[in-house]
Amino acid sequence: MQFNESLVALDIEAVEAKAVIDLLAERLHAQGLVSADYGAQTWARELQHPTGLPTKPFCIAFPHADAQGVNQSALAVASLKHAVRFKNMGDPDEDLDVLLVFMLANRDPEEQIATLRNLALLFGQPEKLIALQSRSTSREALTWLRRELRLGEDGKGAAELRKGGSLGA
Amino acid sequence: MAKLIAVVCGAGINTSTIAEDQIREKVEREGLRDVEVKRILYPDIERFIGMMTVVVSMTKIFRTDLGAPTVQGMPFLIGTKEEKEALLDKIIQMVKAA
Repeated sequence: MQFNESLVALDIEAVEAKAVIDLLAERLHAQGLVSADYGAQTWARELQHPTGLPTKPFCIAFPHADAQGVNQSALAVASLKHAVRFKNMGDPDEDLDVLLVFMLANRDPEEQIATLRNLALLFGQPEKLIALQSRSTSREALTWLRRELRLGEDGKGAAELRKGGSLGA
Repeated sequence: MAKLIAVVCGAGINTSTIAEDQIREKVEREGLRDVEVKRILYPDIERFIGMMTVVVSMTKIFRTDLGAPTVQGMPFLIGTKEEKEALLDKIIQMVKAA
């Protein structure tokens, strides 16, 4: 799973969901991780199958497209200065004000199951979403998220993991 | 006949995989035999009617003729640990009762 500092965009100003998806897709494409039309694909899918989630204390979205446009599995994350509207996955008639966007580029969901599971754990904990949103630099947000999602390759020990795991809890 | 827990979602990749993974692990933990956990795309659901024991829905389901009780699977994505566990217990109870 590719996830690096350029794939974290903090405090971006966007007026609509599509702009956030395009921005993250461009960053993924700049690293050759997805095809040039991944943003368009993701937006088309979002209209059919929305990915807004009514998490607390603010809503999030996790847009993604099908595997065709994905060269390497990756994650890109944006926090927004002002909320943008996504439709609720559980009820497409409902608009959600989203402040955090987790864009997935996934070649094979079963291969990424550990990361998906850790993402779902994060989504269920308001204090974690707040903690992520309050990181002030991309690097901090990256380090924090890598730890939460157990994306370590950096040899961090269990003590560090526990420290990260108890943030705000 | 084997029982089938159907995880139904709109386009069927990440969301349903997250739910399927948690349910499958619980089924194994409970030592239930002859219970299959399967991801099904909502557009394909027609051909599974009559085979499903419980439907776990990750999207809004508008039909009521599925022939199996339906539970909302959204807590698998955004619920607390306790909510996830409570939903797993509920599904297991429904499977045992069927």
